[in-house]
Amino acid sequence: MREEIKNIQDLMEGADYVTDAAIATSVHLAMTLHKPLLIEGHAGVGKTEVAKVMARMLGTRLIRLQCYEGLDAAQALYEWNYPKQILHIKLEESTTHSLEDKEAAIFSEPFLIRRPLLQAITENGQPPVLLIDEIDRADEEFEAFLLEVLSDFQVTIPEIGTIKATFPPYVILTSNRNRELSDALRRRCLYLWVDFPGFDKEVRIVTRKVPGVNERLAREISRFMESLRTVRLSKLPGVAETLDWAQALSSLHADHLDEDLVAETLGCVLKDPDDIKRVKRELDASGLKRFIPLDG
Amino acid sequence: MQNSRDLMTATLAFGRMLRGAGLQVTVSELMDAVRALEVVDVMDRSDVYLGLRTVLVTRREELPAFDRCFDAFWTFRAAEGQGLEGLMGPTQSAGQQGEGDSASGSLETAGRKEAALALEGWEEEGADEGEPMEVPGTSPQEVLMERDFSSFPSDQLDEVARVTVLIAKRLARRVSRRRRPVRRGGVVDLRRSVRANMMKGEFVELRRRERRRRKVRLVLLCDVSGSMDLYSRFLLQFLYALQNVFGRVETFTFATRLTRVTEHLKGASYRRALRQLTEVRDWSGGTRIGDCLGEFNRGWGRLVNRQTIVLLLSDGWETGEPDDLATEMLTLKRKAGRVIWLNPLLGNPSYEPLTRGMAAALPLVDHFAAAHNLASLRDLAGHLTLR
Repeated sequence: MREEIKNIQDLMEGADYVTDAAIATSVHLAMTLHKPLLIEGHAGVGKTEVAKVMARMLGTRLIRLQCYEGLDAAQALYEWNYPKQILHIKLEESTTHSLEDKEAAIFSEPFLIRRPLLQAITENGQPPVLLIDEIDRADEEFEAFLLEVLSDFQVTIPEIGTIKATFPPYVILTSNRNRELSDALRRRCLYLWVDFPGFDKEVRIVTRKVPGVNERLAREISRFMESLRTVRLSKLPGVAETLDWAQALSSLHADHLDEDLVAETLGCVLKDPDDIKRVKRELDASGLKRFIPLDG
Repeated sequence: MQNSRDLMTATLAFGRMLRGAGLQVTVSELMDAVRALEVVDVMDRSDVYLGLRTVLVTRREELPAFDRCFDAFWTFRAAEGQGLEGLMGPTQSAGQQGEGDSASGSLETAGRKEAALALEGWEEEGADEGEPMEVPGTSPQEVLMERDFSSFPSDQLDEVARVTVLIAKRLARRVSRRRRPVRRGGVVDLRRSVRANMMKGEFVELRRRERRRRKVRLVLLCDVSGSMDLYSRFLLQFLYALQNVFGRVETFTFATRLTRVTEHLKGASYRRALRQLTEVRDWSGGTRIGDCLGEFNRGWGRLVNRQTIVLLLSDGWETGEPDDLATEMLTLKRKAGRVIWLNPLLGNPSYEPLTRGMAAALPLVDHFAAAHNLASLRDLAGHLTLR
């Protein structure tokens, strides 16, 4: 493995992020090729974490744009500070400044509200990490707009002019795949699919993040989660659920899993009543062995 | 050791191989791949694999194909102990090997292809040409409209196809024209208000704006199992037409497993679309609607949200477990804006939806209608809206 990639992996581990070669390689490429990285995966597998850890590693600022339905350029890029503009107009009413001067005054930098994208472009000193979180929640129109910004990291504000990034940000996009993203956007990005962690990785995550859990319990939890994700559920539990559960078991001072304990705490892992019913039925029918085969 | 020219040649060859396997690889991605190889350890298989994957794969669905190609590509020369040089040279044979795989796959289904002849004989070109924009449903066509699909003589098929396309176009217009009228209301658009009132000193007139209506997406799931044979060729024509007049349509066919045919139906003439369809069609007997829906929910659930109309075309002859069907229908219904089930058998006055599958699914369907003749497709118009 290339030294730099190994370093990234170590740094991420050092920042309490349990990672693997795939994630480290993608981050390495995103930084060296300086291209946006699109991270997809189920909810709760630690996609957002990647950006946070990356910013910490680089010792730079993390600028986050949380996407939602209806997000538009005014919320993402910039907006004029209207109340301030209105006040300014009122205050200037009695003066004799020309219309041009008045206009120039209220459409100048002090009246500009920088939203995350503009912040990321105008950041000084060193490139920030720009996290565009859950891009699949934004509308397609916004995606097209974003594509434009990402292609040359410059923004034109009609009243001020064109602003070009001196330190183009490192961009991380995450998606839960609630909506299919356009090919154009995918083309522009590096791609990383983060799957549920394998057994060993999940054990490492649990022991790292929930210190109160012993080795045996961590292994049992991870084995259980692994089998649980093969059951036909309407909502598959992610790593976040694993950690919630481990936390709960730890505060109950559990040192191993048994059927009653699982039945009582299943709500930490499954959030859908039908899913809970289904798993309980299987537990009743074939016991814990169904979910934790052999491995102790 | 490699120089960058070799890397380039190797990468381009690998790119061709990926294209052969169905991945869309652009030139700029290949350039990035070369750059990526310069910053990973090219003698380390895992580094090369992860590096190329990060750059050349753009969605999860492409991963299996990428893995197959990479394995074939790497293995060839690795056996000769040449590390990344495996990326050069062997393309030809490796590429052919990949093609060989798919060829043997289609050989398997070749026997079944005879069954597809009926479909192929039904190709028509009308859909490609600009048709006269007369409104379907007027008198000379009335006979056509009411006639059951299963009873058309072959010489009238062209005409039926043409009308099907017209109907699909009309449906599309209806849906896309529906915009909420912009009345007073919405939110104040401060940006434009400030501009409009700059000289007035007061906010004399407020500018308002309203969110544009979200576009509707259609997801079509068409049963192509044996029991649907008489109808599926008409319905496929209908799907083809819908796919090409609506902007946002995803189409799947199913019998015992689910096949995404969106790409097959796009652009190409109906003749070509049909030929491609017969290649991917699942020719095994029986219908496992529940399993196929499950496959859809898990693999393609992201296509469905409140703005989605799911159109299921099936006669409901379920050979799987009705319980599974009900579970999957419920999952689908929870996510979708509207679920419509079109059943060709419903055109028969004596038919009652008593098949076990149909009975299980029926309570979970927003709209249940016939799809046995052109008139029934035309009547769909009123239901292809979210509310």
